Amino acid sequence: MKPLGFVPLKLVPRSEPTDDGELIAACIEGDKQAQRTLFRREYPRVQATVYRILGNTRDVDDLVQETFIAMFRALPTFRRDSRLSTWIDRIAVRGVFHHLRTKKATSTIALDAIGDIDGGGRVDEQAQARDGLRRLYASLAKLTPEARTAYALYAIDGRSIAEVAEITGSTKITAKTRIWRARREVERRAAADPVLAELLELGREVERR
Amino acid sequence: MFEKPKQIVVEVPVSEARRERIEREVFARLDAMRDVDHSNQIAPVRVRRRMPIIAAGFAFAAAAASVMFLVSHEPAPAPPAAPSLVVTPEGGSSRFTVGDAVIDARSDTSVEVKQDPNGTTTLMLGRGTVDCDVMPRPNRAPFRVVAGDVTVEVVGTRFEVSRIGDVTRVDVARGRVKVHGNGELRYVGAGESWTSAMTTAAVVTPIVTEQITPPAVEELPEIELPAENVRPVKPVITAQQAYEAALDIKDEAKRARAYRAVANGNHAWAALSLFNLAELQAKADVKATLATLDELKRRFPNAGNAEDAAWFRVDVLRDARRIDAAKQAAAEYLREFPRGTYAKLAARLVRPSSP
Repeated sequence: MKPLGFVPLKLVPRSEPTDDGELIAACIEGDKQAQRTLFRREYPRVQATVYRILGNTRDVDDLVQETFIAMFRALPTFRRDSRLSTWIDRIAVRGVFHHLRTKKATSTIALDAIGDIDGGGRVDEQAQARDGLRRLYASLAKLTPEARTAYALYAIDGRSIAEVAEITGSTKITAKTRIWRARREVERRAAADPVLAELLELGREVERR
Repeated sequence: MFEKPKQIVVEVPVSEARRERIEREVFARLDAMRDVDHSNQIAPVRVRRRMPIIAAGFAFAAAAASVMFLVSHEPAPAPPAAPSLVVTPEGGSSRFTVGDAVIDARSDTSVEVKQDPNGTTTLMLGRGTVDCDVMPRPNRAPFRVVAGDVTVEVVGTRFEVSRIGDVTRVDVARGRVKVHGNGELRYVGAGESWTSAMTTAAVVTPIVTEQITPPAVEELPEIELPAENVRPVKPVITAQQAYEAALDIKDEAKRARAYRAVANGNHAWAALSLFNLAELQAKADVKATLATLDELKRRFPNAGNAEDAAWFRVDVLRDARRIDAAKQAAAEYLREFPRGTYAKLAARLVRPSSP
């Protein structure tokens, strides 16, 4: 047998979790780096979803925060029978739903950031689009929490019917009915409100996820 | 066919500072919860002699607050978790966590935290105010606040209890709590308040009465009341309250029963309940769904949801692959609502070439 020669030692950086399974395991073990990685990966989608359902209210940040705390606390119970992202979205939407049900969230939204709306480059167009959004959320506030959540997920967040049903824990039929009901109400208001009608018209055709 | 609307464009503001702030707060709270979990885990370790431990430093304790942990362990088969006393001076406040609950002890507050071997958490409020943010309790150990002879039991999830002199006040911000006090048991819901100074008639939103059972935690003051003091309260529930309460029921079988109970009335809420019942039944029982929709149409032909119900029938039949029946229902819908929201879809369905 040949003697072992000199083997240079090489410092290998600690490997990052490569898939959800590893990431979840690391988070459950209390690996803070993994937890922050998961937070940073999921934050933009969770924030966008909550924002699109509620509009620009101060409650968005609180609900996003509550979502992540609930998620990390419940992660050991995640059964992996759905995608991690769907599971997290479900926690977020349940929080929003609960908020709408109990706080009777107001319809007022303060759209303070120019560029919230992809309504064109001109300032007057942006102002009109912002006004349209304010009217949209005012009409959403008249809906039941179920209809509002389903409609916002579908028509604003761009989810498919199947996804809306999965996230809201309902059947596809129920999700569709809620979206229809909400849409009818929004369109009824748009018929008498040219600014809102313009906003709906500005929408884009999308491939549902 | 589900006609796809355009997606409404709402761009979400991206702010790195905002994300960092939320990230900081999330992990600070998680750390605080872990610390408390850890102290709860290590507390039951047996020690041979009495050992008072003064643990200073709850992560969130405000500078003015004084937090004192007195852990006392006797050799016992199942020692209770460590009792702790949190006292805040006037003008000060203290935040701490117990399991999944985040508690804010406000100015001039004295509260003792107890946990029994079953995990039941009890806050004994001596004076002042505690604001409790607690996870909903299904499948979790009970969480209670005892203020004098008033016991508040959490159903979920955020509420405040104040004790000033002999008067205890409960304010619920989110979810519901059960309040034992004044010889009765009441549920207090979000946005509602209860005070022990109220008379029976003035209590906010009596929903249900139950037989009073004293809390099962050791060392709690007994709250047994003489039978003659237990006054049954008439359930003053409007149809709307009953309908809204039904919406909150998680168990679907119970929710269906609640909808049915509301539906037996003769008011607008009955029509809504019938529709919701049909939605619920559609998950598993097409026949029952259609029967409920029939009932809705027969009893409330001019209900506000008549059009939705007519179209829902089409959808249910189509999902059940009963295409001929679905076409027939669509034709009926068109007859009743020729300019209805779903008229185009219905017309498309009844066309001879449609599947």
